[in-house]
Amino acid sequence: MTHDPDIIPAEPGTLTRFRRMLMADKFALAAVIFLTIVVLMAILGPMLLDASAQRQNLRGRNAPPFDLDQGWLMILGADALGRPLLSRIVVAAQNTIMVAAGAVVFSALTGTLLGLLAGYSGPRTSQVILRMADVIMSFPSLLLAVIVLYVLGPSVVNLIIVLAITRIPVYLRTTRAEVLEIRERMFVQAAQVMGASRWRIAMRHILPVVFPTLMTIATLDFAFVMLAESALSFLGIGIQPPDITWGLMISQGRQYLTTAWWLSFWPGLAIILTTLSLNLLSNWLRIALDPTQRWRLEMKGRRS
Amino acid sequence: MRLTGLMMGAAFAACAAVPALAQDADRDLRIVVAEEVDLLEPCMATQSTIGAVLLQNISETLTYLDVRGESELTPKLAESWTQNDDGSWRFNLRQGVTFSDGSAFDAADVKHSFDRMMSDQIVCEAKRYFGGMEVQATVVDDHTIDFTADPAQPIMPLLLSLMAIVPSETPIEFTREPVGTGPYVLSDWTPGQQIVLSARDDYWGDAPAVTSATWLFRSDPAVRAAMIQTGEADIAPSIAVLDATNPETDFSYLDSETIYILLDDAVAPTNDVRVRQAMNMAIDREAFIGTLLPQDALLATSLFPPSTLGWNPDVAVTPYDPEGAIALLEDARADGVAVDTQMTLLARTANFPNIVEVMEALQQMLQEVGLTVDLRFLEVAEYQRIFKKPFPTEMGSVLFTAMHDNSKGDPSFTMFFKYASEGPQSGTDDPKVDQLIEDASAATDDDRARLWSELQAYLHDELYADVPLFHTVGYARVAPQIDWRPTIATTSMLPLGEIGFK
Amino acid sequence: MSSFIRKRAFASLISLIGLVVIVFFLSRLTGDPTDLFLPIEAPEEMRQQFRELNGLNDPLLVQFWNYLGDIVRLDFGVSLRRAQPAIDVVLPAFLWTLQLAAITMALVTGAAIVVGSLAAFRVGGIFDRIASLTSLIGASAPDFWVAIVAIVVFAVGLGWLPTSGTGTVWHWILPVGVLFIRPFGLIVQVVRGSMISALSSGYVKTARAKGVKSRAIIFVHALRNAMLPVITVIGDQAAALLNGAVIVETIFGFPGVGKLMIDSVLQRDFNVVLATIMITALAIFIMNLLIDLTYALLDPRIRY
Repeated sequence: MTHDPDIIPAEPGTLTRFRRMLMADKFALAAVIFLTIVVLMAILGPMLLDASAQRQNLRGRNAPPFDLDQGWLMILGADALGRPLLSRIVVAAQNTIMVAAGAVVFSALTGTLLGLLAGYSGPRTSQVILRMADVIMSFPSLLLAVIVLYVLGPSVVNLIIVLAITRIPVYLRTTRAEVLEIRERMFVQAAQVMGASRWRIAMRHILPVVFPTLMTIATLDFAFVMLAESALSFLGIGIQPPDITWGLMISQGRQYLTTAWWLSFWPGLAIILTTLSLNLLSNWLRIALDPTQRWRLEMKGRRS
Repeated sequence: MRLTGLMMGAAFAACAAVPALAQDADRDLRIVVAEEVDLLEPCMATQSTIGAVLLQNISETLTYLDVRGESELTPKLAESWTQNDDGSWRFNLRQGVTFSDGSAFDAADVKHSFDRMMSDQIVCEAKRYFGGMEVQATVVDDHTIDFTADPAQPIMPLLLSLMAIVPSETPIEFTREPVGTGPYVLSDWTPGQQIVLSARDDYWGDAPAVTSATWLFRSDPAVRAAMIQTGEADIAPSIAVLDATNPETDFSYLDSETIYILLDDAVAPTNDVRVRQAMNMAIDREAFIGTLLPQDALLATSLFPPSTLGWNPDVAVTPYDPEGAIALLEDARADGVAVDTQMTLLARTANFPNIVEVMEALQQMLQEVGLTVDLRFLEVAEYQRIFKKPFPTEMGSVLFTAMHDNSKGDPSFTMFFKYASEGPQSGTDDPKVDQLIEDASAATDDDRARLWSELQAYLHDELYADVPLFHTVGYARVAPQIDWRPTIATTSMLPLGEIGFK
Repeated sequence: MSSFIRKRAFASLISLIGLVVIVFFLSRLTGDPTDLFLPIEAPEEMRQQFRELNGLNDPLLVQFWNYLGDIVRLDFGVSLRRAQPAIDVVLPAFLWTLQLAAITMALVTGAAIVVGSLAAFRVGGIFDRIASLTSLIGASAPDFWVAIVAIVVFAVGLGWLPTSGTGTVWHWILPVGVLFIRPFGLIVQVVRGSMISALSSGYVKTARAKGVKSRAIIFVHALRNAMLPVITVIGDQAAALLNGAVIVETIFGFPGVGKLMIDSVLQRDFNVVLATIMITALAIFIMNLLIDLTYALLDPRIRY
């Protein structure tokens, strides 16, 4: 999460205050811990566990979870080739997070900028941008995926491009809708009268108001993108083995849903927990960053 | 919101009239299959999804390959056939047969069906079985027709079991209202939802037990299996092996598909017979059975199933011998063969169940004997585009993992395509193979069987032409009150006449 | 207003043409339908014949010119696979999906606004926690999990509902239920976030200070202001449903346009792909127009 210096007043002890506010919200604290683990997995996972994630053992296929006889790596059970699911989930975190974060950040940034532009520029530019958004919105992501991946080949970067493009319109339209409303508000009008430039108004006065909503959408988009990637893998146009992502693991485990639930359950749970954590964190951040809301956390922080 | 409310109301009202989950009258049958039928064109009936509905139900053929009995050709619209002295074939047609549109069946209909299928105005799939030959259909009289082929075709009666007969009025364009001589007519076709066939009164043969049959389409195998359990369907010809847990209702059948790896003997290192042999020895075929592949799958020594004419029972599966493979590769390497050349194992996405795991295991087995093997999955269109000669070169030596279907009972549907030097998907270029294919194709009966057997042994034990892996099996779920068992032909046709009620 | 709509219709027409051009050319980059229509064993002469008969041998520009000529006469071409006019294939499927999407979104909108606003009213309260957690888990659970588990439980286990298909009102419950979950989770979060901001913003405080005592009035006032991003996200989710409730349609054997689209993209049945995109795009354009009109309705300061 980036801390926009414009939003956070740079007073001494900011860090301490944030830590206190974090301690006040146990859910947010748990979320931060979990996300730290995920990030560590993404960075270190492939280095530490790649070998065990690739080791096949047909005799131990679909080994059930919670059986420690085979070693602690088998605690989550094994996949259809007898590879430990725990190792695979850890190793897959890297690609998964790269694809999801890449797609979400790219689409959120592009969408927001275009949305500001559309909301704050003349009718002609705004029309062009919005109609482009219409086109993207009605362009089925699946077709786009087939085209890009057929022409350029499946790779993490291409996948990010496909997923990012399809998610631009929601940020664009949301930002623009808010801009339409906010620019009529008193403080913006005042800034205008005082001669602030359009860009400055957009960045200083409008973006902070839109930001929380965008963050809510972005955190939920994480899940959306991970699951979309899963659907693409299932259709054979996403990440291909031996590369792995949580989405690919889910789609591979799909056929075992009724006989070996753990194959798709654990990666699914990883996606759910990641999304949940991101959202709890963004909900917390939204309050922590809002001067009119902050008291809720500070009060609790003081009490505890 | 108003609008949606109204729509919802309308949807409820429209639906409420139909009773939920009602069992229809007991002579009605519901069949749930994976793939939606896009077309019901008789000349496309060799395509399995179309054939499953059309063949022997709406449209009939001159001859019929009966796989329930001795796997032999039996009369259908032709009562008998003989080979003339010049190598052509004469078919004596059944009399008193009418099409569902009321017109009588005669030799002109057969000729029209053939000419229509071969026409260049439409692209009929069945036409491909008549490639590489000149065939002429000549009407002798109303109930006799000659088929003359150049070169002579000993298996002409078998080839004609693939041609659905249409009345001579059928225009030469794809039809969506098939007319045939079969026991059923198409009575309802709601795309995306169902196809209904109903029995007709004036069928020439025995009246079938099933009075109407409804085809439903569900892509998800778990849903298909569940529908038999809940009574929403009576037969699911294909369910997942994982769901086939109830011996009372679930039956396995050889589905005539064979999984194999194509080796190109024109490029290094697969141009060396020792490398090809080593690849065959590197794969622990047994380890797949009952794990990644169903317990009932068979290890293959040929690309056609054992029920095929001339299948050679003496050819043994190459035993798993990684040390032997390593030694052979060493040997080849010492002779200057580029054993370490980069190879790419190619597979078609979702070609068969568990393909991802099967491919990863194959890759690992090949790597364990010291070969350099990459794995790549291709989307179906791209795979189909490059899976024919000339094979692509930009990925190093390519190893196509493919599935081949031959349920037709004769190796000729396999051998030319897969092994002849001119064959479009052949990695083999061997004069002896070409000669044997030519000889066997022209031979009949025992000679034919002997030649095919000889060729199979030569390909498998001396050339190591490719890596045959498995004959796969399918699983069908059949409701307890239905008297029917799947066969090797079930993927390509589902004659309702064979289905009874207990 | 009417001049706005007229201008908008014109701009949308241009977008539609742009969309057709893009899809026409890009989809042809994804390979030759001949390879998919004919089996791999088919001889080259047959392939040539197929290309010739279906105009695939003509230069691309000629093909496009012919297509445009047909479109002007409202002829969407013939489906390669089905040998019937593409529009006859697409229209019934689209109507099924439209119903499915409309019913789902109506339920989602109602439920999410109620749940989201209640959650925002007491931030951090029990209701807020439960609503947030459950809706987030729902939003990030893979839909095929939910679908298969729902079938196993409600159709096979309890026998209350049919597994799949269409025909009775009972057939709608599972697909609508499964489709409901994800947009519900997302929209609850957006409503909740927007409401928190709105309830703490200046004008609500002003209203309070002015002596507006009734909680209900404050609530309605805040809701009205919180609705802009909510409506945008509803539009985004509705578009996603129209464009492809692929997994749900596939699993439940629902004859909708999402399944049709994926099948025709994978089979390279270009005429069906194009017809599908044009019809869904039209629907999405109209929906976006309605959304923009709703902005003006909700906030009289926004004018077009």
